[in-house]
This record gives sequence, C-alpha cells and structure tokens, in this order.
Amino acid sequence: MEIKSLSLRARAVVEGFMSGLHRSPRTGFSTEFTEYRQYAQGDDVRFLDWKVMARTDREFIKKFEDETNLRCTFMVDFSRSMEFGGDEAGVKKSDYGRTIAASLAWFLIQQRDAVGLATFDRDVREFIPPRYRQDQLKTILGRLETQPAGQATDLCQALDKLASLVGKRGMIVLVSDFLTPIAELERSLNLFTSAGHDVRAIQVLHPRELDFAFEEAAIFEDMESGQNLILDPGLAREAYLEKIKAHNEALDGVFSAQGITSFRVSTTEPLEMVLLKFLQEQPARAVARQRRSPGRNAA
Amino acid sequence: MSFLTPLYLIGALGLAIPIILHLLHDRPKNKQAFGSLMFLDKTKPPVDRKRRPTHLLLLLLRCLALLLLAFVFARPFVTVDDPAAAGKRDRQWLTVLLDRSASMQRGDLWQQAKAKVETALGQLGPGDHFTLYAYGDTADRLVDIDAWQDSASETEVTQQLERLAKPGFGGSDLGQALVIAGEAIQEKQVEPDEQPLAKREILVISDLQKGSKLGEVQGYEWPTGIRVSLEQIGEDDQGNCGMEQVAARTLWAATESVPSFRISNSPNATTDEFEFVVQSATGDPLNQKVHVPPGRSRVVEMPAEWLEQTIQQLSIRGDAAGFDNTYHFAQERQQTVRIVYIGEDKPNDAEGSLFYLQSAFQKTSALGFDVQAVSGQSTEALPEADLYVIGNVVSDAQAKALDQAIRGGATALAIVHSDKQAKNLQLWLDAPELFIADVKSKDYGLLQSLKLDHPVLSVFRDSRFSDFTNLHFWNYRELQSLPSEGVEVLARFDTGPPAWLHVLRDEGRLMVMTAGWRPSDSQLALSTKFIPLLYSILQPVLEAKTQSHQFHVGSRIDVTRFNNGEVSGSVTITPPGEGAATVETADVFLPTEPGLYTASGADWSETFAVNLLPAESRTEPIPMDQFQKLGLPMDEAVASPGQLAADAATAEKTEANRREYWQWALLAVLLFVTLETVLAARGSRAVEPVMTS
Repeated sequence: MEIKSLSLRARAVVEGFMSGLHRSPRTGFSTEFTEYRQYAQGDDVRFLDWKVMARTDREFIKKFEDETNLRCTFMVDFSRSMEFGGDEAGVKKSDYGRTIAASLAWFLIQQRDAVGLATFDRDVREFIPPRYRQDQLKTILGRLETQPAGQATDLCQALDKLASLVGKRGMIVLVSDFLTPIAELERSLNLFTSAGHDVRAIQVLHPRELDFAFEEAAIFEDMESGQNLILDPGLAREAYLEKIKAHNEALDGVFSAQGITSFRVSTTEPLEMVLLKFLQEQPARAVARQRRSPGRNAA
Repeated sequence: MSFLTPLYLIGALGLAIPIILHLLHDRPKNKQAFGSLMFLDKTKPPVDRKRRPTHLLLLLLRCLALLLLAFVFARPFVTVDDPAAAGKRDRQWLTVLLDRSASMQRGDLWQQAKAKVETALGQLGPGDHFTLYAYGDTADRLVDIDAWQDSASETEVTQQLERLAKPGFGGSDLGQALVIAGEAIQEKQVEPDEQPLAKREILVISDLQKGSKLGEVQGYEWPTGIRVSLEQIGEDDQGNCGMEQVAARTLWAATESVPSFRISNSPNATTDEFEFVVQSATGDPLNQKVHVPPGRSRVVEMPAEWLEQTIQQLSIRGDAAGFDNTYHFAQERQQTVRIVYIGEDKPNDAEGSLFYLQSAFQKTSALGFDVQAVSGQSTEALPEADLYVIGNVVSDAQAKALDQAIRGGATALAIVHSDKQAKNLQLWLDAPELFIADVKSKDYGLLQSLKLDHPVLSVFRDSRFSDFTNLHFWNYRELQSLPSEGVEVLARFDTGPPAWLHVLRDEGRLMVMTAGWRPSDSQLALSTKFIPLLYSILQPVLEAKTQSHQFHVGSRIDVTRFNNGEVSGSVTITPPGEGAATVETADVFLPTEPGLYTASGADWSETFAVNLLPAESRTEPIPMDQFQKLGLPMDEAVASPGQLAADAATAEKTEANRREYWQWALLAVLLFVTLETVLAARGSRAVEPVMTS
C-alpha cells in the first residue's frame, strides 16, 4: 500500500489488463441484430419483421444484442472489524478491500460499464446507483476514500436493505470479511441470487486472522463490540483455527449453493493477482444457468 | 507454645493482601485489538512464565514478613518449668459468712449450710488464712486462723460448728456482715516475712432470703481485690406466709383500737388459703379463714369477741414453712389518764370550760380518762394527775402545790379568764411584774404567728389543717411584763399580744392560754382544732401510757419505759420457757428468742411479747442483680494496691520462667523486609519487554 491515493492505486492495478468484451447478461434491443424467432402470442408486435412477413407470410420477431453494458454494484464492508491490520503482518483489511473495489470500478468504467457503490456496516451507509457517467468514477473513488467510521457489522440487515435498492439485474461484488453468523447470511444472499444478480464475493482476511500467530498473553478486544477477553494465544490458537476453518468451509458451502463466485484473499496477496483471478473467473451462476437452458439465449 | 496476646494472630489474615496483589500483577496489561472474538474461547488466566520465579520469591518473602509480624504482636512464649517454683501455691484468705438468722430454721437448711462450710474448707491449703463468721442481727467471728494447718485447723472449725446446734431467731443483716468481713481483710497488714495473699474471697453461705438487710453495703465503698461469692442453700419452692401486727393509728383519732394483723404471702407461694388461729389461755382454739393470694398481703382485724379472751398466742395454719407461724401477743391493759380541772365550773354548764374538757376525752380500748373537778379555793391536798387544767383563780396554797407538781413532771394548762389570775401566773412564770389587761375587741381577734414546728402545734403543720382564720376570739387578755426568757409564744393575736404560751419548768410543762374555749370567749371548743390541740398537749403522757409491749428479736428494749415510765432500780426480766434464767438489767434488754417475757420491778410486773422480725418471713430469694447494683465484685476480682504488688511479684516469677521469642521473630521480619527490598529493586531495574500490539 505504498501508493496513498486510491485512484492511483486502482489505476496502477488496472493498467496492463486487456480490455475484453464481456457479454451482457441480458439480451435487449439495440442496433446489432442477433437472431430471428418465431412469433409467439404475447410478443410485442413492434418487433415483428414486417418485411419478412410480407415476403414469407410468416411472423418473425427480430432480436438484437442489448446495447447496455454491465451494471456492477460494489458492496464494501465499512465496519470496524475491517480496520484490523496495518502492522508488519499485513495491511488493513479495509484498505485492501477498498483498493480491490476501486481497481475493479476503474477497470469497468474504462469498459464503459455502469458502476455503482454501496458501503455498509450495521446498515447501508452510502448507495450510489450504477451509472455510466464521466464523473461516476470520481464519485465512487471519493466515497471509497472516506475513512470508514462504522460500527459492528450486520451484514444480513445491510444486504436485505441493499436488495431493495439495487434495481435491475447486474453484477454485485461483495467485499467483506464475512465474520458473521452463517445461517442468516444464506437467506440474505438468496435475495440477490434469486433476483438474477451475478453475485461475487471477495472475503478479505488478515493473515493473523488466518493463523492467529500471536505470542504473548494480552487482553483481546473485539473491535466491533469492545468486549475484552484475557487470552493466552498459545492455549487459544488451536481452537481458533478449527473454528475459523469451519466457518470458512460453511461460508464456501453457502456461496456454492447460491451459485456465488467467491474469493478468499489475504491482505498480503498482490492485488494484481487478485484482479486477474477475479476477471478470469466465470460467473458460476451464469455457467449453471447456461447449462440449464442452452437454447434460450443461444437461439 | 502459648501466646500472651493471641488475638493479634488474626493479623495473619493480612497474608491475603500480597497474594491478591501478586495475582493482579500477573494479569496481562497489554491490549490487542482483534477483528472479532467470535471464534475465541476464554482460556485459563495466562501466567507469565518468565517472571514467575522472581515474583514467587518476593511473594514468599512478603508473606513471611507479614506472618512473622503477626507472630511478634501475639507475643509467643514457652513456659519453662522452674524446679524451685514447683510445689508452691498462692496463699489465699477465705472468709465464710454463715447465715444463722431465723429463716435458716426451715427444713434442713442449717445442716446443709454447715456441710457447705466443711466443703469450703477443702480448698484451703497450708498457710492460708481462714475466718468464719456466723451472722444474724450481728456478725460474730467464730474462727480466725492465720495459717491453716490441715487437720488441726479443720478440727477447730468443726468443733465451733458443732456448738452452733441451731440457727438463731434474729434477722439477717448480710450487709453488716459483709462490711465487717471486708474491713477485717482490708485492715489486715501483711507481715514482711509473710507470703503475700494472692486471693481474698468472702463466701456467703445463706438462704439469701429477700428479708436480708443489705443497706450497710450501700454506704460502704467496697475494697478492691476482695471477691464475694454466694452459696445459696435450699430453694424456696413453696413460699411462705408471714404475720405482723399493724401499728395502731394516731391516738386521738382512734375511738376504738382493735389489734389487727397483716398476713403476707410470698409471690412464689403455692397456697393461698390459711387459717388464723388464736390459742386462748382457756377454752377451745378460735379460728378464722384468711384468703391471701400469692404476692399479696391482707390486714385481718381480730374479731371483737376474741378480745374478751386472754390471748397470748396467734398462729397461722396452712403455711409450709412453720418457723414464723406463731405470733406471741401481749394484750395491752387499758391505761387511765387522770385529768384534774381546777375551777368553779359545773360539769353540765355548757357555758363553762369543764363541760367541753370532759367531752373532748373519750374512752378507747387502750385509754380511759378520769376527769376530776376541784375548786380553786379548796384546802384539800391537790390530787395527782397527768394534766391539770386551771380555769380560775387558785389559792396560794394550791398554786404552790401546782407549781411543785409541774416542776415534778406534771403537765398543766392555765386558761386566763380574769385579771385576778395574775398572782398565780407571777408564781408559775417567775414573773413578779406580770399583770393582766383585759382586751375588748371591737369585733373579734384572730390567731397569727403560729409556731407550727413546736411539738404542741406540729399536729397542725400540714397545710390542710394549718388554717386558723375560722377561729374567732371575742374576749382575750393581754399578759404584760412577761419574762424575756423561758417563755415560748406559740401563737399571737392579730393585734399583737401573745395568745398561747409554753413554759418548761424543770421536768414539767405549763401551757398558758390568754383566751379560753368558753363560748363567750371564743369558738375554740367548737372548732376542729380543739381535740387535736388537747391531745397534742397530752402527747408525752399518752405515749408513756400506751407503750407497746410488742418487740422483735434483737431489738433493744428500753426497760425504763415499763410501768408507764416509772421504773426505779433494776428490772428483772423472766424469759419464756420453764426454768429460764432471769436477767437483771437497769437500761436495755436484748431478747434472743421469741415468746412472752415478764418484766418486774419492786411493786409492778408487766408482760411483753417478742416475735421474729417480719422481714425473716420474706423467704423468696434476693434477685442476684441487687448484689451487682451494690457494687460487690461478684465475678472477677479487681486488684487492690496490695494485691497489685502481690500480682507483680507473681508475674515476675512467671516471667522469669517464660521464654519469649518475639525479639527473634522481629529480627527475622527485618531480614525478610530487607531481602524483599533488594530483590524488588533488582527486579524493577531489569526492564521487561512490553507487548506490542
């Protein structure tokens, strides 16, 4: 995190990536023709190809490639637990997460995609709807650059609210540590996936959270609740590692069941690698859907 | 090992302080912020292994220092047996007060008491001081042994006890006995070569009945260092009923005096039905049932028909304790008071003085009045009388005879009715210049300046009776040129002249009234003051005539008061019982047992009764707190200066045999504290790494 400015950091990350086309998840109506289809009752008569009908006396509907590009909303966790880190072991989770969000936003805006931002802790703090505008990136980076002053996370409550805010189907990128009870989370995520969103989750964890490599006994303070616990890390480590492993496995299970592409990153991992991984990953849900109904979009 | 002040060992609880402080010190101070504690469980309190040995040593030193400090304050010692001191014991003085009052006659109390004395002897050792007192009305020292010798001294005491076959009939003056015993101990000087007395104890062996007198202890500052212990004999579980004669009311108010008796039942009594029985000299016993609830008393008048009998003894039936159930009764004979009126009045003349004088003195069961009228000019010899009332001029011969009678002890009342009586008064008052002026008051004269504290007028001292304003005098005389000395003016008229005069002449008395009670002179005869005034003038005579013949055991009987106070030479007293030796005495007789006694002189003989003290009938025990209120050291002895010295000597001896270790313990405390300081200083110099977060 040598570069202080988030926009520069994002730009540095994005540069060197080839801009590649990616198909919009929705077919719409634009100038670029894609296919004909037999008219079925209920189809809009405006899209009937009158010329073909005059020639062949058959009703065909013209389908076009959707003109609009990707609508992507970044949902970034601004709670206090994300402030952990900033030592020699690794950067703060919040810095790391915000950089990922900013880099991807930059990249997508360069692709002329509509990008939005939502920040949350216990509740939704900020919501910028996805748009493609000249100053959209500036606005998003400006919002991301404000220091998170959040409190405890209630990921589920925030997601429930965001589900009502995010309108059209699009891509949702969740950046959080996901240190929250699993049971509720599954239901909240289902709101997005069932609405057809392409949800991708980036779980940002500090290396200490993964290995609990503390040495001396100390009073451990929960950054969110302020609760204190006197601990000998030597004694507590084993149980901790087991629990966090179980938590992560459960989380993976939830993502997989919901068709959510997820990445678990440590704050020590190079950001470029994470971006590369993110962009190369096929949306699990899209793949699953395409497998379920291959003829519908490919006709 | 023992401790002189073991309470200080509680201070060892202070050990908890360093231990707690050390525990607190082991808590980590550094804080570590962490994303979420949701995967962390509480572990055991972490222990800093690196610092543990140093801290443990410090803790050990601190605990040891505190423990030893508590130990030092508790003053531990080990008593080393001194072979020289072995076998020696502290010398003590035991004083036993044995109650021999009448109440000890109940049951086998006396045998029990004597056995207790013998038991008490068991605690004596060779060289101890032992004193035995037997007390009733007075305390008699029976035995006083300076240095106790086991068998010889015990034999002496046993012999003395055997001589006391029975308890006495007297009261129990426990207070006096305690004071006598206490003073004897206090006054005793320890000889320089004598072993000092370590313990002084007075042991009271008594039934401790409530009738015991303790008054003397109240005014006595109890000497310190003398302990009093009480050995109560017997339990008064049945209660007792006592009887005493109720004193007659004032003589002039009582028209008829009937002997009455107060029957008192003790609060713990089990019965309330008694029989009041009279054993007359002749005939069958007379009885009357009496109901007295426990804790109450009742006055029983002797029925009138009983008075006709010659009664010598009354008793109560139904009472468990019989020692006080008999009451000896000396029946009073009616005494005659002789009054001579010298004047010319007729007995039935309501306008004269004699008529009212006769009416004023009424016969009672105890007193009869013989009023005789004599002419002032009579040439016959003046009859003997207890009171002469002179209402007119008397001849010179009679005046002289009267003067002699007065000087010989008679009482006379002269009423000035005319100025012709001046000559008589000049003689009787030794006032040759005296003359009488008749005062004619316009309306009436009133009395004032009454000397109510004079014995004659003291009967009117109460504010209810001291109002004389209703007493009007129409005619009165003024005595002029009265002698300045020897004449007491008891009252004056409101115009100034004296109204009532009182003169003492040798052994007799003369009272002069300058206005009489004739209706033409004043309202005195008709006023409520008249009879009390006449009885008051006669009081010394009546007192001598109505001398009681009821006495108590142990009371001092003044034998000169027998025979109406006319006793010359010695009196022979014959105690009750067959073959009792007579006692000759000229002044005081002390009866030692109840019964009917006979006192006889040359030409007279009188019977008097002696009974137990009514207090002896109160057999319920004295409340124990009463002794404490009197300041008697009942539980623990308080050291007297003498005993302090003895105690100091004993303490020195004990201390010499005691090995104390507190100095060593104190030294160890200092050593540990120094070590602790050094170790702590060294520990603080070594900077310990602080956990970074």
